[in-house]
Amino acid sequence: MRRIQAIAWNTFREAVRNKILYSLLFFAVLIILSALAMGNLTLHEEIRMTRDIGLFGIDAFGVIIAIFVGVNLLYKELDLKTVYTILPKPLHRWEFVLGKWLGMLLTLAVQMGVMGLVLGVTLWLQGAHFDTPMVKAVWLLFVNVMLVTSIAVFFSAFSSPFLSGFFALGCFVVGRSVPDIRALAARLGPLGKTVLETGSTLIPNMHLFYPSGAIVGAEEVSVHRDFVGASYLLTTTGYGVAYSLIVLILAMLIFRKRDFV
Amino acid sequence: MSDVVLRADDLAKTFRLGFLRKRIEAVRQASFEVQRGEIFGYLGPNGSGKTTTLKMLMGLVFPSRGRAEVLGRPVPNRQAKQRLGYLPESPYFYDYLTPEEFLDLVGALFDVKRAERRARANRLIERVGLSSARGRPLRKFSKGMLQRIGIAQALMGDPELVVLDEPMTGLDPIGRKEIRDLMLDLKREGRTVLYSTHILPDVEMTCDRVAMIFAGRIRSVGPLAELLTARLLSTEVCLRLGAADLPELPAGARKSENPDGLVIDLPANADVDAFLRAVLAAGARVHSLTPRRESLEDLFVREAASQSQGAA
Repeated sequence: MRRIQAIAWNTFREAVRNKILYSLLFFAVLIILSALAMGNLTLHEEIRMTRDIGLFGIDAFGVIIAIFVGVNLLYKELDLKTVYTILPKPLHRWEFVLGKWLGMLLTLAVQMGVMGLVLGVTLWLQGAHFDTPMVKAVWLLFVNVMLVTSIAVFFSAFSSPFLSGFFALGCFVVGRSVPDIRALAARLGPLGKTVLETGSTLIPNMHLFYPSGAIVGAEEVSVHRDFVGASYLLTTTGYGVAYSLIVLILAMLIFRKRDFV
Repeated sequence: MSDVVLRADDLAKTFRLGFLRKRIEAVRQASFEVQRGEIFGYLGPNGSGKTTTLKMLMGLVFPSRGRAEVLGRPVPNRQAKQRLGYLPESPYFYDYLTPEEFLDLVGALFDVKRAERRARANRLIERVGLSSARGRPLRKFSKGMLQRIGIAQALMGDPELVVLDEPMTGLDPIGRKEIRDLMLDLKREGRTVLYSTHILPDVEMTCDRVAMIFAGRIRSVGPLAELLTARLLSTEVCLRLGAADLPELPAGARKSENPDGLVIDLPANADVDAFLRAVLAAGARVHSLTPRRESLEDLFVREAASQSQGAA
């Protein structure tokens, strides 16, 4: 456990000392704060605007950071040859991958925490609260970002950062569009239907993590009114964690067999 | 307990590169053993397969054939790595860390407790002469300083076996001497050292035994003294003739002059006793007599030449 913890802490420390991440965080905060100005353009919908823009900022920048750091997580170790020093230590290769992933999650948790805090302060300035629906929404976005990180790490175990980033972003875009793909499949012939339905089953359904405005059960849920209940939160979290672990185990299996020349 | 701490048995590695999967045989046949408590040199020219062999022994590269054991366990093995220290070639470290932070990370990977990690890191920073740079990030370190912190991290787990890949490369003469002295210190502490290099004078000064690899194939393995004393190349006789005449030289002898006098280089098969008697009888004085045995460089060049002839 100490070994995994050491790798995770070092990964977090590397991110904390990376100026690019600060720039991304700065832009995310800027977008959240821009909600204050945008709210003035609406008629009595300032708080709604702040919530929507704030959650969009957390979602978008969380995913961007997850892909940007995730695809470089293993590649950088190989490119900078630091892996030659670390892997001959009494450390299993899977422990190394798991440690890097956990460090990345810690980084994302802190980043999303800061963005959430800024959003909370913005809402407070408008006389509103960072209420339970908002906490649930940010939690679901975090689970989504964890899944995107795992996918990025998986691709980076065997391809370049550019390709890994491209594939991970593709998975995210398709994953968010799963309900639309299923709706399209229903209108196609048997072959097209089978292909799209199989594809939308294999690709993680990331729409589950951004359900505001969607129909869950028979009700429309909204972060502005009644948001999802505890059972939805639990099953969706379980789905995200299970999918992440499967993808991460595949990444470990690939990494286990690699030659570091 | 076995005295062999590392065994490579017929190791080979073939890489497949590029779109056409071209075969590159980096190591064709590497068999050697490293005995406990010795300094073992792994010699070879650039591109001969030294680093690939060490990477196979460290579990970074999987062999295409053969097997290896480190500290009695087949490679790769976590328990064996617990007793092993490794410095890679041209070491790259996390350059945002300070020496203290980096050694603390390495200590944690060896499962060393925090207080002990701190104490060991302090001792090692002192030992490799980096006390004044302990708070500086590694990105600001020179090549020599990085090599020193590399040695320190290799010792962080208090290893029985220390494997150093080209530890002298890029160092100035003082830096090289410091690394040589450190290796000798490690030997005195009872540790085993295996290092790869192509800098032959360092090997002559430090190694008990060596293995030489050329084009991926090991050519010679053995104690340095045995490998080198087998062949007498020539005998150098330095004379002061004065008024005397130089007697007739044996066949193949060469004559030259240096500030001490006349230098006669007698071939290995010459009758040195007879020549000396003739010189003394002629009234000349013998200033010095030096048998010239094969140096490591001679052996290295001979093995390289025989390898390239074999390949042709």
